[in-house]
Amino acid sequence: MNDTILVVGAGPTGLSAAHGIASVGRKVALVEKVDRLGGTPILSGYAKLVPSGEWAKDAIGRMVARVESNPLISVHKSATVTRLEGEAGSFTATLSNGQTLAAGAVVLGTGFTHFDSINKPEWGFGTYEDVVTTTQVEQMVGAGKIACPSDGRAPERVAILLCVGSRDRQIGREWCSKICCTVSTNLAMEIKELSPKTDVYIYYMDIRTFGLYEDKFYWKSQEEFGTKFVKARIAEVTIAPDGKRLLVKGEDTLVKRPIVIPFDLIVHAIGMDPNEDNPEIAKVFGVGLEQHGFVERGEHYTSSFASTRPGIYVGGSALGPEDIDTCVSHGLAMAMRVVGDLATLARKAA
Amino acid sequence: MSETSGGIAGHGAFFQPTNLSAQEAEKATAWVKKRVDRRELDLGERMDDVREHMWQLEKEGEIIVHRITDAHKPVMVKTLFGWDKKIPTLQLWHHKSCGQCGNIPGYPTSLLWTMNQLGMQPGRDYLDETDQTSCTAWNYHGSGIGNVESLAAVFLRNFHQAYVSGKRLGHQPGHFYPLVHCGTSFGNYKEVRKYLVENATLRERVTKILGKLGRLVDGKLVIPEEVLHYSEWVHVMRKRIASELQKIDVSHLRATVHMACHYSKMVHEDAIYDPEVLGGNRAAVGTSMAEALGAQVIDYSTWYDCCGFGFRHIISEREFTRSFTIDRKIKVAQEEAKADVMLGIDTGCITTMDKNQWIGRAHEQQYTMPIMADIQFAALACGADPFKIVQLQWHASPCEDVVEKMGLSWGESKKRFEDYLKEVKAGRIEYLYNPELAVSA
Amino acid sequence: MTTYAEMQEVFDDIRNDFRYEHELNGCLNCGICTATCPSAHFYDYSPREIVQLLWTENIEQIYDAMQEKIWACAQCMTCAARCPFKNSPGGLVAIMREVAIKHGFQSAKDVLRPFGRVMLKLITTGNQLSPDMIQPDHFPDWGPNIQKVQGDLKILRKAIPMKTLQTTDTAWEVALKTSVEMYTIWEMTGVLKQLETMDENLFDVIEDFIEEKREEYDELLEKQADKEDA
Repeated sequence: MNDTILVVGAGPTGLSAAHGIASVGRKVALVEKVDRLGGTPILSGYAKLVPSGEWAKDAIGRMVARVESNPLISVHKSATVTRLEGEAGSFTATLSNGQTLAAGAVVLGTGFTHFDSINKPEWGFGTYEDVVTTTQVEQMVGAGKIACPSDGRAPERVAILLCVGSRDRQIGREWCSKICCTVSTNLAMEIKELSPKTDVYIYYMDIRTFGLYEDKFYWKSQEEFGTKFVKARIAEVTIAPDGKRLLVKGEDTLVKRPIVIPFDLIVHAIGMDPNEDNPEIAKVFGVGLEQHGFVERGEHYTSSFASTRPGIYVGGSALGPEDIDTCVSHGLAMAMRVVGDLATLARKAA
Repeated sequence: MSETSGGIAGHGAFFQPTNLSAQEAEKATAWVKKRVDRRELDLGERMDDVREHMWQLEKEGEIIVHRITDAHKPVMVKTLFGWDKKIPTLQLWHHKSCGQCGNIPGYPTSLLWTMNQLGMQPGRDYLDETDQTSCTAWNYHGSGIGNVESLAAVFLRNFHQAYVSGKRLGHQPGHFYPLVHCGTSFGNYKEVRKYLVENATLRERVTKILGKLGRLVDGKLVIPEEVLHYSEWVHVMRKRIASELQKIDVSHLRATVHMACHYSKMVHEDAIYDPEVLGGNRAAVGTSMAEALGAQVIDYSTWYDCCGFGFRHIISEREFTRSFTIDRKIKVAQEEAKADVMLGIDTGCITTMDKNQWIGRAHEQQYTMPIMADIQFAALACGADPFKIVQLQWHASPCEDVVEKMGLSWGESKKRFEDYLKEVKAGRIEYLYNPELAVSA
Repeated sequence: MTTYAEMQEVFDDIRNDFRYEHELNGCLNCGICTATCPSAHFYDYSPREIVQLLWTENIEQIYDAMQEKIWACAQCMTCAARCPFKNSPGGLVAIMREVAIKHGFQSAKDVLRPFGRVMLKLITTGNQLSPDMIQPDHFPDWGPNIQKVQGDLKILRKAIPMKTLQTTDTAWEVALKTSVEMYTIWEMTGVLKQLETMDENLFDVIEDFIEEKREEYDELLEKQADKEDA
């Protein structure tokens, strides 16, 4: 039986799990498919995280730093697991760089893929330059400037369309991506802060700034930053008669009136898709996927974070849309599970 | 995947030119295309393709599928979710449109003329006959008189006739494949096919009716493999039409395209989306033919809007239709897009936009725009006579303007046509196909 | 005065249509259907409202909406293409229209009366609008320019180089057998019954016409049989 634990994915979940496991003295092999650690918040250039307001590069950076400096954790970058053999207690993993690793358990923190707005073409992404995603706005915030990509001007009016790639049977994405409402209201505030003359409108079906986020984001974005909310799902985005701005077409359901409004910049609040590599991941690790395409998990009461294969645990946004804070918690929970289960196995063997 | 500069796919906080060569750019974005390829949504079992159920039904011996074979020389295209669709290009049975034949005769005439020009032989490569009923969907959508059963029975009756139509000319069953001229027929048939495939009770009831009409094959219903709209045929033939037949340069013309609701929104998973046309972001038909001819296709703010036909409204509540079409289509095409012509792909749309301009004067909304079908425009550009073939004399909108802009003389064409009318009076009539082919039963 | 029980019957008829389940799954009240509805721009009509009334089983307001509102719908089906629930408000309206006709609503009769001319043409010939109907006096608001070459309609139609289109009283020439087949379909599917409910006079005219055509067809068949025997 091997006492190293293989952690796949070095995003918030994997970083948290790796540290958790190492903190009780166990060895970790951390495998990451790209050449740097941090996961989506770093790769997609997120600016300030919710709800902390800390810069992603600082907050996640801290997590990365303590993992990289931990002698119990061996980091394997630019590598994926291409084969996994064995069973709980003694697995052998082959990496894409040829290396083999022995591990007693596997923790999957493989994360998600952002919804690609090109798959919702009537909302203008791919047709009009001034239609961007929340990720791209995060990058603008990181650079300190909100500008229309077409001509670099500061937008007078910005529309954020919620639920792009979520809650939509037309494209087979019936789920809610949980955190986009909070992220969008946060971005609305950041846009206003960086560009005080800009008015931000949010077009929604529901506002799900859950728990303590309600007043921190939904109320605050209105009271302190003048964000306007319209309960309307937009039907189409087309070019305005002036050839420059863009029109959104909706029904203001609360006043029961169709609306057609021009904007300078349109932001898609994109959802969280299952990781595009999930079919491959499912095959390599021998774990099941649930009906939406995310990784299947065990019943939560007594088998939290189990996958369908004994010895392999899964958490974070690999399970479904999840916010970063919760992913960090999942990582620690999985660390607990792994260490506990391996100890049980060891006792049995003795 | 190297992330040294941050961001995804080279997007920094600003959008800066990369100054990559075409090859380098291709290499850099290849990974994006792999996943982001147009319409590569991995929908798994969550989106239903009715055709799978249809094949299953045939396997179970419940129906017969009218197949598109190699003899039909099919071309493959992609639809909204990246599914494949077969478009037969040869051996077609013309399913005519009431509105076209009644009010816009140049519409089907231009289509058949184009087929002749491409070397298709009437009686072998296409057939137009009297044994066809209206799809009855215009009436259904307008008045509510009718029901799924009557629509289904009509659908199956017509498609059965298409299936057996070749017999009297010595062809095998299934020789001629139905080509639906009207957008509403197309949308209606797509829907009805879905109901038939999914509902056994409906099939049972309709089988009785078809049985009484003697229109079953081996006691079974005949359902077509694909429901095909003429604009889809035009789409796959567009490059040949432009390269082999085009005689007039239209690159100076600005065209706006109106997309028919019943083509693209009814059973919208079955409509052509082509990465070469509008980036694959909008339904390709109509636009693709105009672009292939070299015309400038201009985007406008109400691209997705309905024309306001309303099915019932255009007959008996016309203020709605004309207000809507003038405000949302004609005015926009003129003022915003400054178009020379507005092209459509469906009967109702063209009728609506063409006939509801003059009345604008009564409401101080004086907007005019030449209106015609994509195939009429193509035929003109390929040298078809504006009167004898394109039959523009039936269009109320100022089509003479765009004809003149194409370098043709409206006055001269009219004179030629009036001379031809004398010939017609004397019984010397010209035909696109031997008139005897038209009469079946 | 319509009773609640009668209104309930009407709603049950709508609900029991086999398409209902497919076309109404629930509603998020997002308004995307109304956003893009051409009728919502012009009339006091909202597909979202129709769906909300049906989903919450508001018997009385559904009955109400079936008087005028449902006839505003332009049947473009943009709502069905956009709804995140994959409902089809346009499809639901079509069901409601059929049910209104089935129950002989006076409002339906009123709405459809101007459509009668077209119905006659359709039921008897299978075409919606024939060339001889597109004349300035029938559609004066289409303007005087709907025919840019003057002359005898018959000649002008003969100048169309497709044999099937050389008619004036139908859009295309329909074989007698084809018409008779269509009558059978109308009969067996209950469409003639619908028509009788909506407009008895029109129905009588149509019945006579159909009988005539059927006799003509029977004669034709006899003649053909005789020819074959000879």
